[in-house]
Amino acid sequence: MFYIHQSSCISPQQTFHDVDLNKLHEPADRKLLAIEPRYDGIPPGILRRMGKAVRMGVGAAMPLLQNNPTSDGIIVATVNGGKEDCVKFMNQIIDYNEGLLTPINFVQSTPNAVAAQIGLLTKNHGYNITHSQLGLAFEYAMIDAGMMINENPLSSFLLGAVDDISLFNYNIEEKSGCHKMETISNKNLYTTNSPGHIAGEAASMFLVNGNETGAIVKVQAVETLHTTDESIMKEKLFGFIKKYLPAGEKMDVLLTGENGDNRLLKYYSCCESLMDNDVTIARFKHMCGEYPTATSMGLWLCCDILQKQTIPEHMIKKAAVKTGYKNVLIYNNYNSIQHSFILVSIT
Amino acid sequence: MNRIVVTGLGVISAIGNSVAENRVSLMEGKCGISRLEMFPSKFSDVLPVGEIKISNEALKEKLKAPEPGITRTTLLALHAINEALADSGLSNADMSSSGTALVGASTVGGMCLTDEMYMDSQKDTPGSEYLASYDFATTCMYLQNYFSIGGPVNTINTACSSSANAIMYGARLIRSGRARRAIVGGFDSLAKFTINGFNALHILSTEHCTPFDEDRKGLNLGEGAAFLVLEKEEDVRDKKIYASLSGYSNANDAFHASSLSDNGDGPFRAMKDALASAKLNPSQIDFVNAHGTGTENNDKVESIAMLRLFEKVPAFTSTKANTGHTLGAAGAIEAVYCILNLAEQELYTGLHFTNPIATTKLVPFQLYKKTPLTHIMSNSFGFGGNCSSLIFSKA
Repeated sequence: MFYIHQSSCISPQQTFHDVDLNKLHEPADRKLLAIEPRYDGIPPGILRRMGKAVRMGVGAAMPLLQNNPTSDGIIVATVNGGKEDCVKFMNQIIDYNEGLLTPINFVQSTPNAVAAQIGLLTKNHGYNITHSQLGLAFEYAMIDAGMMINENPLSSFLLGAVDDISLFNYNIEEKSGCHKMETISNKNLYTTNSPGHIAGEAASMFLVNGNETGAIVKVQAVETLHTTDESIMKEKLFGFIKKYLPAGEKMDVLLTGENGDNRLLKYYSCCESLMDNDVTIARFKHMCGEYPTATSMGLWLCCDILQKQTIPEHMIKKAAVKTGYKNVLIYNNYNSIQHSFILVSIT
Repeated sequence: MNRIVVTGLGVISAIGNSVAENRVSLMEGKCGISRLEMFPSKFSDVLPVGEIKISNEALKEKLKAPEPGITRTTLLALHAINEALADSGLSNADMSSSGTALVGASTVGGMCLTDEMYMDSQKDTPGSEYLASYDFATTCMYLQNYFSIGGPVNTINTACSSSANAIMYGARLIRSGRARRAIVGGFDSLAKFTINGFNALHILSTEHCTPFDEDRKGLNLGEGAAFLVLEKEEDVRDKKIYASLSGYSNANDAFHASSLSDNGDGPFRAMKDALASAKLNPSQIDFVNAHGTGTENNDKVESIAMLRLFEKVPAFTSTKANTGHTLGAAGAIEAVYCILNLAEQELYTGLHFTNPIATTKLVPFQLYKKTPLTHIMSNSFGFGGNCSSLIFSKA
C-alpha cells in the first residue's frame, strides 16, 4: 500500500521528544492524558485559540511537514476533534439564550478543523480530508492514503489521527458505560476482568509515500469489518493473513488493541487463536487508553518496534523466542462491532 | 478505464420528498425557504430556513424506525437511501455482499439535538436516550446495521464539502477494486447549533437568499439528505444509467478558517484539477452547479475563480436558493440535481437574482429550458478551506 518515512506522536507516554517507552506513565483522575510538549512550532496567538485535539494534531504534524514542505496533501482521522469547541459553543447558546455569540468555537467545532489548521499553517493547497467513522476512522484514512499513492505513485502525504479527552466527550462516554467503574492503574488494565476501559488520547502522524528507499516500514494491507459475530471476524482475518502475508514469511508479532474491557475479550481470543506458537503477542492500550483512532498509536509503536527490533517488556502478553521482527499484524476491535486488520512489515 | 456510473438516486429536501418531487419543484422554480417550525429557537421569526415539513414522529412512522435514540439526521438519511436503493434495484444479498460500500457525510450529525447533547455532556445529569447518537458516524452505523452492509462503511466530515468528498471516496473505492459498488451521499438536519453558529458569523440572511446578486445578504440554512448508487459501467447490464461521474478533485484554499481567499485559489484548483481528472477542457463544461451560498465572500470568490478558469463562463446557478444550504448534505443533493440536468437534458430556473455583482458581472442562468448538456461541474466549498469539485457526464 505505502511506505512510512517519518512518524511523530504526542501521547500519554514519552513518545514525542527523547522517546522512552520503558517507563510507563500512569493515568491521572482515571484518564490517560497526553504529555503535551511546548509546541514551539505554532505561533502563540494561534496556539491559544486552538482546542486540544487541534493543538495535539498540529503539534505532532508540524515536525514532519517542516522537513517535507512538498507533501501533496493531508489525510486525517478524528472522531472527537472539535467536540470540545462544539460543547463550548453550545454552552454559549444556553448561557446567552441564543444571544450575541462569538463564533470562534463554532468555526473550530467540526472535526475537519485539525486537517484544515495543518493545511493553513503549512500553506498546503493539496488534498485535504477528514475521516470520522469512529473506531475505523484511521483505517479509512490509511486506505485513502493507499489509494492516493496508487493513483499518483510519486505523491506523498501527511497521514495521521488525533482524538482527545474533553470533559464533554468524557462525560457522555462515562454515562454510556464505556469506562471502568473502578479506579485502576494502567499496569493492571488487563487483569481487572470487568467491563469498560480507561479513557485515553493521542495524536500520531506519519509521512507516507510509495518510495521504498529510506522508509521505516511498509504498510502492506488494511482491511475493515463491521460485525459483532466473532466467527465472521475470524474467517475474514484468516483470509487477510493468507492473502497479504508475503509467501514463505511468518507473522512475528501480533499487536492487539485489547483494552481491558472483558466484553471484548472474545474477539481478541479469537484473533490470538489464529497465531502460531512462535508469534509474540503484545498490547498497547495501557499506554494510550482507549479512543476511536487508537490504532494510529498502534501503528506508531509498530514503527518503533520494527526500527529498534525490541518490544518494551510491559507491552508483552506472550513472549516467543525470535531472532528478529519482520511482520507485525495489528488487530483492533472498537465497541464490539468495528474490526480492523493492519499488516506492517520492515523494509 | 471503465466508467463509474450512477444507477440509483434518492433525495429529500425542502422542495420535495423524492427525486420526482424535487425535479418538479426545480422545473417550477419553487423556493422551499420558510419559517422554522420543527423546534423552538429565538430566531424562528427572523431567520428563514429550508425546512422539511415532516415531523420526526411522522418520519419514524413512515420509515418504521421506532428505535430510541434515532435522530432526525438519520431519519432523513434513511428516507433518501431507501429511494436510491429501490431505484437501483439492489437486493438484500447485494447489500450484505463484501463488495458493497457505504460512504456517508455529515457535519451536523447528532448535534441537531443541541439541547440534549449539551445536557448529556454535563457531569451530573442523567443520560438521555441519545448518548450514542451524537457522533457524525452514528447515521452510517445505523444504516450499516439496518441493511447489513458488508463492505467498507465510512463517514467523511469536511464541513460544507463533506458529501462531495464522500462521492469521490466511493468512486475511488470502486476504481481501486475495494468495492464493486458504492452507495454515497450526505445528510444533515437543521439545528439550533448551526443556526446560532452561522448567525454568530453574521452570514445568515433575514430574507430569501439571493445567490450571485450584488445585494446578497447571506445564506439560508436548510436540511436534507441524498444518496447516489455508483457502479462500474461493465457491471450494470440492463439497468438504467443516469449519468457518469467523470471527474473529481479536492483542494485546500489554505487561507482562513471560515472564508475564502480573494483570488479563490482553493476553488480554482478544485475545479481545474477536476477537469484534468475528467480529461476535459474548460470549454467542454456546459453548466456549473455553483456552491453559491449567497454570502458576500463565497459568491464573489467563486465568481472570480470561474472567471480565472473559463474563457467564457458557462451557464451556472445555485440551487441553494431553492433548498437553503444543507451543509454536509449539499454536495449530494446538488449531485442529484446535476444528474437530473443531464438525464433530462434541461436546466432549471434560477431564483431571486436581480443585479450582477458589480466587479464580476456574472449573470446566473434564469429560466427553465430544455437544452443539450454533456458535462456538468458541481462545486462544494467548506470551512477550513475544503474545496471540492465533481464532474458528471451524460450517460
